Amino acid sequence: MSADKPVANPQVVLREEFDDWAVLFDPDTAEGFAVNPVGVLIWKELDGNHDIADIVRVVREKCENVPEDVETHCREFVDSLIRKGLVGTEVTHD
Amino acid sequence: MIEAGPQERARLMRTPQSVDIDITDRCNLRCKYCYFYTSPADVKTDLPLEEWLRFFEELNRCAVTEVTLAGGEPFIREDLKEILEGVIRNRMRFSILSNGTLITEDMARFLGSTPRCNYVQVSLDGSEPETHDSCRGKGTFEKAVAGLRLLQKHKVNVAVRVTIHRYNVRDLEATARFLLEDLGLSGFGTNSAGHMGLCQKNMEQVELTTAERELAMKTLLALNKKYGGRISASAGPLAEGRMWSRMERARRQGAAAFPEGGRLTGCGCPFSKISVRTDGVIVPCNMLSHIELGRINRDRLDDVWRNHSELWKMRDRRSIPLSRFEFCRGCPYLDYCTGNCPALAYSLLGVVDHPSPDGCLRKFLDEGGHLPEEELLEP
Repeated sequence: MSADKPVANPQVVLREEFDDWAVLFDPDTAEGFAVNPVGVLIWKELDGNHDIADIVRVVREKCENVPEDVETHCREFVDSLIRKGLVGTEVTHD
Repeated sequence: MIEAGPQERARLMRTPQSVDIDITDRCNLRCKYCYFYTSPADVKTDLPLEEWLRFFEELNRCAVTEVTLAGGEPFIREDLKEILEGVIRNRMRFSILSNGTLITEDMARFLGSTPRCNYVQVSLDGSEPETHDSCRGKGTFEKAVAGLRLLQKHKVNVAVRVTIHRYNVRDLEATARFLLEDLGLSGFGTNSAGHMGLCQKNMEQVELTTAERELAMKTLLALNKKYGGRISASAGPLAEGRMWSRMERARRQGAAAFPEGGRLTGCGCPFSKISVRTDGVIVPCNMLSHIELGRINRDRLDDVWRNHSELWKMRDRRSIPLSRFEFCRGCPYLDYCTGNCPALAYSLLGVVDHPSPDGCLRKFLDEGGHLPEEELLEP
């Protein structure tokens, strides 16, 4: 399901807290979703210019003890954001 | 005072989650117990739209998620729609506190068209003009109900607030029936006239006597039971009835201190929200508007939030033990008491770091008050 180059919904607010965890807040629905520090790192890569492979590279670069199957985790996380309407894909018209 | 250590300071939210904004100093009414007029919040200055829009951009950068617009009467501002569009553009939700009398069809339609409106709170103090108008002015009941019905028509979430005072304390049953049955609201909130602003001048007319406070407490608890918990309160007789009964039960059973008990913990606002006066001055709370922390579009909000010493004094208040105060000496409820609202303490005594005498259970009992019967309390 993961989009090639996912992009964060620009209306969604990322509230980073003191412990590096964060809340993704959708102002249209008033729903908030807790995100751990790795999730925050991934969220910041969702600018429509990076695919999952790029994101995995960043996670491997910046995090410690990264599991072998990190790509699956990243893909599942991005998919969950897509399902919640927090992330989409940019549509280009040729 | 024991001040917050580096760990406590590090655990503070990076920015406030919400901001209370007094958007205008103007109001078409002068309610007898209005906390705003003649208080330090009443600075007789309204900022132009551009200043608010610029500030909303900063709130967006700070990831603030909601604002509450009050005043004065927000619907008196001709540019309210542009203000709300600025809030929406900057990824926030909003609530509006209103007397309800100036809400037009066009505005209600606009509010109903956005998913960003948490609620519009309309003040309604009775089931009929006689009780409501007694403190708010002739003809205001009909106008407020008309405004409320417009909001309902356009499916705007309406929150009604009933302020309890001498003129409506015997009308509470009819008020609940009117709001919950006739108007079909899902619930309503209550408080009572507090010793602030115009209320200070009109205390004799509006402040509940001990007997009336007791009556309000018992009536509201009974009504809340009857209507399945649809009446809420964070202050005033209903909240006091619940809290004081819990405290009395704990005292009787010799229970351990409440986690927040025995210190000035009654106010958690400075940990999640901040306020702005109509002139753009940043204050800890619109009821503590004399404590000036900075000015919007001049001082950075995140800097004020994290570093202003007055704001830290407000937060550090939580470590002040009640046993320090002569007022609390020998009180059997000390371990269960939070000292209540600092703004009320300030308006009654001129000191923020003091328990509020208005919220004191021992004082209530000493003055002849009685707590509600156990069967009236929720389990």
